[in-house]
Amino acid sequence: MSIQPAAGLGLKPQHYADALSDPAAGLWFEIHPENYFCAGGPRHTHLTAIRERRPLSLHGVGLSLAGDERPDRPHLLALRNLIDRYQPFVISEHLAWSRRAGTWRPDLLPFPRTKAALVRIASHIDETQAALGRRILIENPSLYLALNGHDYPEKDFLIELCARTGCGLLLDVNNVVVGANNLGFSAEDYLDNIPSNLIGEIHLAGHAPDPHLGATLLVDTHGAPVSDEVWTLYQRLIARIGARPTLIERDDNIPAYGELQQERARAASILSASIRQQEPAHAAA
Amino acid sequence: MPPHEERAFFDAFDAALSGDAAGLSPWLADDSTAGLAVYRNTIASGAVDALTATYATVVMMTGEDWFRAAAREYVLVHPPREPALLSYGESFEHWLSQFPPAADTPYLAGIARLDWLWWQSWCAADDQLLDGADLAEISPAQLSELTLGLHPSLRIAAFANGTPALWLAHQAPARGGEHVLGRDPERMVFVRLGAQVEARLITAGPYAFLDALSRGASLLEAGQAALAAEPACALHQIIVTGLALGLFTCLTPVKRNTRHDN
Repeated sequence: MSIQPAAGLGLKPQHYADALSDPAAGLWFEIHPENYFCAGGPRHTHLTAIRERRPLSLHGVGLSLAGDERPDRPHLLALRNLIDRYQPFVISEHLAWSRRAGTWRPDLLPFPRTKAALVRIASHIDETQAALGRRILIENPSLYLALNGHDYPEKDFLIELCARTGCGLLLDVNNVVVGANNLGFSAEDYLDNIPSNLIGEIHLAGHAPDPHLGATLLVDTHGAPVSDEVWTLYQRLIARIGARPTLIERDDNIPAYGELQQERARAASILSASIRQQEPAHAAA
Repeated sequence: MPPHEERAFFDAFDAALSGDAAGLSPWLADDSTAGLAVYRNTIASGAVDALTATYATVVMMTGEDWFRAAAREYVLVHPPREPALLSYGESFEHWLSQFPPAADTPYLAGIARLDWLWWQSWCAADDQLLDGADLAEISPAQLSELTLGLHPSLRIAAFANGTPALWLAHQAPARGGEHVLGRDPERMVFVRLGAQVEARLITAGPYAFLDALSRGASLLEAGQAALAAEPACALHQIIVTGLALGLFTCLTPVKRNTRHDN
């Protein structure tokens, strides 16, 4: 696949035909691999057709890397099978937990970022990367609950995980905005202090105020357009680190494909501008 | 934090998700537990959304509000076991059959079973299809030695009443018209043809034929089963229709279980 991934879209079944015929330069698609843990059928037929034309990213939601149980072996095997079949250019998971004692919670749950948690999660990432035969990226979660007992701020915890396991980061700008609002930290400070070389992908998404509490509690719904604040922070981030594959994430309240195309085009133009700015410097070097 | 306290956090968080947040208080930095409600809502709606997609006909017949309320109760008793929600909810049919608010619509559990089979057919593996010409070579003596491989997407179901026709009527609601639950036994076959799942009513003979093949019977035994269930059925017609529907993948020797006497 010779296409250099620039700005991409989360692939939704209702958009398969539009996605296949979209001629945009640098377009790529991301899926949740768990939605393709089926033996065959139309989902795989469509995904195969998409993959023939476009780079693909696998963004897992179910490995529960921050949990107190080791990554599930059958899950890793199913993921490995998808990787072998579709050859994604990037594989990512979350700094969160969801599985415990045989029950899986469809969410990305928080935990105290302790020294013990760092050791535990690093070993889960090691095990995952070994089983998949690939480096993975870890995404910063959206946070809703102020917990006691942290030994590290989140960005330091993520940087330390990268140092220990060789993994990279998927930086979700919207999650930073949601967490900064809900827990009271500076989104700029967070984003400015993540080393550029660790960032392998960026997510942009929309959020919504909590229906009861309003804007004091923002919820990462993936159900709205990317907010102005997120766009501003994204532009600042790209100006600092240069272009990175960037995804417009939309999982709920899914609009017509054309609406997502417009948001994708906006990210693509920010990426192109950053590449143009860097070119003269490269030429002089 | 020592490892035992790590475990205590996860125990406390689990309990808090189930409604008992008292044990989590050492870890909560302020009094607000509004964040917990966000997690609880996301968890409940994720599982309910998956059931809503799988049990589309039940949703159509009960209305979405009734279904989501019922599904929330099911999720509390049978939470997802794995993140692949495509395979979540197999026990919903049985649970629905014992759910008191569904007592006056006893056919709903059967509708749920057909939705589940449709979904399984839709997700099943792809496979090659048998070429009908291969069947022309068989001699009568080989019928007891050969069997037909069934497509991975094939599912069959038999009911003592007309639930299958009621289910089918809701797949094309545009046709309109009231449909009442028939009293006679009905049977259904599902198979995926291309990207579409084909759902058809079948009579007792073809049902017995496919049921026998699915249990590893030879062509001879499957034919005998079909004729026993429906003496007037035409075996060649079952084969021709099955080939056209893509029910068969291969012609293969019967696997006989080797008996181990100890």
